[in-house]
Amino acid sequence: MTPVATKILMDKELMHKKELENSQAAILNVLEDHKQESEKILKKKAIDEAILASIGDGLVVVDKEGQITYVNQSFEKMLGWSSKEVLGKRIVAVVPREDEKGEVVPFNERILNRVLRGEVVVADLTNPFYYIRKDKTRFPSSSIVTSIVLEGEIIGVVETFRDITKEKEIDKAKTEFVSLASHQLRTPLSTINWYTEMLLTGDVGKLNAEQEKYLNEVYRGNQRMVGLVNALLSVSRMDLGTFIFEPEPTDIPLLVRSVLDEQMQHIIQKDITVFPALGTNIPLIQVDPKLLRMVVQNLLSNAIKYTPEKGKIEMSLTLTNQKKCLLFTISDTGYGIPKNQQHKIFKKLFRADNVREKDTEGTGLGLYIAKAIIDNSGGKIWFESPASNYTEGEENAGTTFYVELPCKLLEKNK
Amino acid sequence: MKRTSKKSRTILVLEDEQSLLGVIKAKLEKEGIRVLTSRSVEKAFSADLKKSKSGGVTLSSVKTALKHVEDLEQVDAIWLDHNLVGEENGLDFVTKFKRNGGHWSKIPIFVVSNTADPDLVKTYIRLGVNKYYVKAENRLDTIVADIHSSLSHA
Repeated sequence: MTPVATKILMDKELMHKKELENSQAAILNVLEDHKQESEKILKKKAIDEAILASIGDGLVVVDKEGQITYVNQSFEKMLGWSSKEVLGKRIVAVVPREDEKGEVVPFNERILNRVLRGEVVVADLTNPFYYIRKDKTRFPSSSIVTSIVLEGEIIGVVETFRDITKEKEIDKAKTEFVSLASHQLRTPLSTINWYTEMLLTGDVGKLNAEQEKYLNEVYRGNQRMVGLVNALLSVSRMDLGTFIFEPEPTDIPLLVRSVLDEQMQHIIQKDITVFPALGTNIPLIQVDPKLLRMVVQNLLSNAIKYTPEKGKIEMSLTLTNQKKCLLFTISDTGYGIPKNQQHKIFKKLFRADNVREKDTEGTGLGLYIAKAIIDNSGGKIWFESPASNYTEGEENAGTTFYVELPCKLLEKNK
Repeated sequence: MKRTSKKSRTILVLEDEQSLLGVIKAKLEKEGIRVLTSRSVEKAFSADLKKSKSGGVTLSSVKTALKHVEDLEQVDAIWLDHNLVGEENGLDFVTKFKRNGGHWSKIPIFVVSNTADPDLVKTYIRLGVNKYYVKAENRLDTIVADIHSSLSHA
C-alpha cells in the first residue's frame, strides 16, 4: 500500500468514527428526551390519580362486565371497603343498592347496567336510593352515572355518588313543618268558620241583605283556605310517606254520584250540563274510598272550574281490559291544557298559563295529589287535551281525564 | 232547629281554645242545652268548672274535667277536643273516663278536633267514642244536630 493509499484509508476510518460518535450522541439525546418525557407523563399520571383519588364524591369505575377497575378514597371512606378488597369484583356484589322501602334494586335495573347497555339515564332525585356499606348500614345517596366511550365504543362506566343524609333530613324537617303549621292553621280557620256560620244562620240577630252578602264572601274565602290547608297537609303526608291507604270494597258509581251531588250547586250556577253514564253491573272495587273521593272531587271541580258557562261535562264508568280494570273518564268542553305545558300538569304547584289568567282560584296541588293517590292504588291516570300551544285569548275543545283502576274484587260483591 | 226533648240537657265541653269554646257554648245554649266547659282534663275532674249564665260550666283540662264529672248529677254528653291545656289530652280523658265504668261509660262522647290523623281517629273509636269530627271540615250546626239526635235516642 502506498503512503497515499494509507492516508486515504485512515481519513475514511476517522470519518466513520466521527459519524459513529455523532450518531451515538444523537441517540443519547433522543433517549434523554424520551426519559424526560416519560418522567413528565408519569408525573402527570400521578397527579391525575391523586386528583381522582381526592375527589370529594365517591367515585367508582367499572368495565363492560360490571367489574370494578378503580375506586377513589371517598368511595373507600363512604362504603368502608378498601380498594384492594373490591378491585376486580362485581359492583353489584360489593355495593348493593336499596330503595326507600329497603328492597334491593335488581341487577338489570341498576343505573350502572342500563348505562352500560347504552341507555341514557337521568337520575330521579325525587326517588332516592340507599347504598349499603361493608358493615351493612346504609345511607341515602344521589349519583351520576356516565358511560366511558373510547373510539365510539362504551368500554365501561364511571359513577360519582354523594351521601345525602343531611339533605334528606332538611327535606323531612321542611315537610314536618308544613304539616305542623297546617294543623295550627286549622284552629283559627275553624273559629272564623263557626262564628261566621252563626252570624249567617241568624243566631245572633237578623242580617240585612248586604251584610249577608259580605259575610258570605268571608265564609267562602275561609272555606277556600280550609281547602288549601287540607291540600297542603295531604301533600306533606305524601312527601313524608305517612299517607295511609285503607282499601275496602267500594261502590264507585255511588261515590261518583255523591261527589256530583256535592258539587251540583256550582254546576247549576254555571249552567253546565252533566251527562253521567255511571254504568251498570260495576262491582265493588278494592280502593280507599276517602282517597278515591278526593281524586273524583278534584277532577270534577277542575272540569267545572275550567269550563265556561253553558258548557258540557261527560262522565263514564266502564269495565275494560276483559273486566280486569275499571275506567273512569271525565270530559269537559273547557279551556283545555296548553300542549307546551301538558308535561307539567301533574307537577306539584303547577298551574297552566291559560287557567291562571282566567281564574285565580286553585293551588296546583289537586292533580299532583290525584296522581299520587292513583299511582299508589296500582292504577293509572292520564288525559287528552287537543289544545294547541297556549296563546292569549284562545279557546279550545276541552280535556278528558282517564283513571284506570285494577278490579281486585271483580266477582261476588253486589 | 227543632228541640228534640223538653227536658234540659247538659253537655260538658272540653276545648282549649277560648274563642272556639265561646262559639260552641253560644250555639249549644241557643239550642237550649246547659253547657259545662273546661280547658283541661284536670279541671274537668275538679269542681273548678266555669258556670255559664244558664248554669253550665266549661272545662279545658283533663284532670279538672274528670273531677267535675264525678260531682255532676248528670252530664248527658261530652264534647271533647284532642288538644287540651296541660299535660293530658283528649285520649287521657276518654281512657280515665271509661275506666270508671257504670253510668259514665254510657255517656256519649263526641270528639271534635282539628287533628285528622287516621290513627288517632281509630284509637278514639276503639276507646268507644261516638263520633269523630274534624272542626275545619264540619259546620257547627251539623255537629250540634248530630248530638241532639243522639241524645233524643238515648
